[in-house]
Amino acid sequence: MTDIILILPVIFSIILFLMKSRTLNNLLVILYSVIFLLAAIFLYFNPNSSGSVFNNYFKVDSLNILFLLILAVVFAGVALYNHSFVKSLNLVVSQHKKYSIGIILFIFSMTGAILSNHLGLSWVFIEATTLASAYLIYLPNTKQSLEAVWKYVFICSIGISLAFVGIILLLIASEQVNSLFFDELYINAGKIIPFWLKLSFIFILTGFGTKVGLAPVHSWLPDAHSEAPSPVSALLSATLLNSAFLVLLRYYKLMDLSGLSGFANTLLTIMGIMSISITAIFVFNSNNYKRMLAYSSIENMGIAAIGITLGPVGIYAAMLQLFAHSLIKSSFFLTAGNILTLFETKKINKISGLLKKDRLTGWLWIACFVGISGLPPSPLFLSKFLLLKELFSNNQIVFASVFLLLLLIILFGIGRSVITMTFSEAEEANRQTESGYLYKFMYIPQAVFLTGAAIVGIYTPSFIYNLLNNAVIGCQ
Amino acid sequence: MIDTLILLFGLTGLLMSIKSRIKTIINILSLQGVILFLIILFSHKASLSLSYLFLIFETLIIKALFIPSLLNKILLKNSVDRETEPYIPNFYSLVISSFILFSGITISNYYAPFSVNMTPLFFGVSFSAILTSLFFITTKKKLLTHVIGFAMLENGIFLFSLAIADEMPLIVNLGVLLDVFIAVFILGLLIGKINTVFHDTSSCTLCNLKDCGCDD
Repeated sequence: MTDIILILPVIFSIILFLMKSRTLNNLLVILYSVIFLLAAIFLYFNPNSSGSVFNNYFKVDSLNILFLLILAVVFAGVALYNHSFVKSLNLVVSQHKKYSIGIILFIFSMTGAILSNHLGLSWVFIEATTLASAYLIYLPNTKQSLEAVWKYVFICSIGISLAFVGIILLLIASEQVNSLFFDELYINAGKIIPFWLKLSFIFILTGFGTKVGLAPVHSWLPDAHSEAPSPVSALLSATLLNSAFLVLLRYYKLMDLSGLSGFANTLLTIMGIMSISITAIFVFNSNNYKRMLAYSSIENMGIAAIGITLGPVGIYAAMLQLFAHSLIKSSFFLTAGNILTLFETKKINKISGLLKKDRLTGWLWIACFVGISGLPPSPLFLSKFLLLKELFSNNQIVFASVFLLLLLIILFGIGRSVITMTFSEAEEANRQTESGYLYKFMYIPQAVFLTGAAIVGIYTPSFIYNLLNNAVIGCQ
Repeated sequence: MIDTLILLFGLTGLLMSIKSRIKTIINILSLQGVILFLIILFSHKASLSLSYLFLIFETLIIKALFIPSLLNKILLKNSVDRETEPYIPNFYSLVISSFILFSGITISNYYAPFSVNMTPLFFGVSFSAILTSLFFITTKKKLLTHVIGFAMLENGIFLFSLAIADEMPLIVNLGVLLDVFIAVFILGLLIGKINTVFHDTSSCTLCNLKDCGCDD
């Protein structure tokens, strides 16, 4: 089954490359998303059926199945939304073709990074995500998008290079093991020289941390997320960050098994709290709602990074955090796409009376806000609550208070913008402008994601609970 | 012999930090490629394996000839200003780069538990080359110099990866994938999109996207 989801996108992109048809573009992206979703569900129920031509290199285990399912679900929703969204973009056929190929290859590279059981291969696929998504961010073809894509590729390529140094250092550390397969590294964790492993972790954390968007190496993220077309922003935020996070998680396990979890915890906590602080500062002052959402992604990744340092309960909270963040943030970005279509501006202060202009988008916008700030019934409430509980039980009261204060500032910052955008009276200028047309598939994916997230927040179904729990076991 | 070459590689990094003409820096980049080639030539046990040939091709053709010539082409095309335009004077750059190189060698001499393949000199020089190139990127204004800095970083990483070339040739070959990024940057600059949109290829025009509460 892993063969299918790895070979299919390559075949599809070749077909798209050779053909020149709009219908085919739409059809293949949606077909790929449906097959991908079915394959991911199949792999969840039959994890052992993954034996393939690539044998050891790609593997489904209890940890990456969670990330694979998130990717599949989010991609299915985004593909559906995208089908309507591209109509409003008025792309020429050749642009549309490149865009569709870009999306398919982007998903392919993330799938590879998630399924890979080999650190070198994960690295290659993470590098591929940068290259595949570069064109997608550049698509609006404006001065700003060019700037965003240059920064994105440049910063990420330096990050990727540093991660490569980390891999070399790991090889020096594990001279007796001489393998980059995670399984073999875990078994031989005792033979790894701690000095080199520590040094290697610093580089790996900086390198993959760049892709995850952890501060202080996050600077590409707000630019790229805000300039990319909304479906791409949703994919970047909800799935790309996760894929890079998975590599960090796997490396963290190695650190844990080598008895260096204390060192890793310190670094992760520092980067985590920095990410949250930076979000608190910038969200407060932001006048671009897509940038605001991008910063919120940095915050959520920071929270997840802190979570994995806090033992099993913390890791459970981090997994729940990643899961819920993906669903809610992708809805948030897709709804931002609706607002952009309606108002044709990203400036918060130029938007008012959203509820009056388009009732459904307005309510979706509010629902996304409730979800992302972790107000019940959002599952993010649960994950943050669990995290705080762990911090208090570890007697880290000062840290917990700072954490809580920063969350409050972020809640206020995002809340203020969302409320002024939705509930204020529509300005004359806004009422009169011809608004872009929204198709019904530009509401449905968000509504489904948010309902799903709310259900998990109120009552966690047993299969989700098992999924998260198994991921926690896979991390240790 | 190898030690001399490695030291020479370290010195090219210093030279790059003081030269102010972009053309000279590109020439030094090409020289780095040749030094890397010589290091491979002298250090490798004389067996003509495929990965050995690949390394020779990578250093001699790609690093020493291909990338520098493309960079020169960009330089000719954007015949605006051939100076690097550093943010800080070259003298300070030299002091800081020398400090990085010096401390790289001394610290690695005293602290690290080294194995057979990784001598302190090897580690110190390649590690400081990586740091120096990061410093080079952050202190220069032009986009082209950023790309040169990235190529320098890649050369440093390549030298570093040679330490494990015998056990894991795969990794050295994987490192070549970093060249793809350089290719993307060069394409971006060559196709001229960046030049026409940004007027001149300096990064100070890359500041439209920022966080600001104001109305812009």
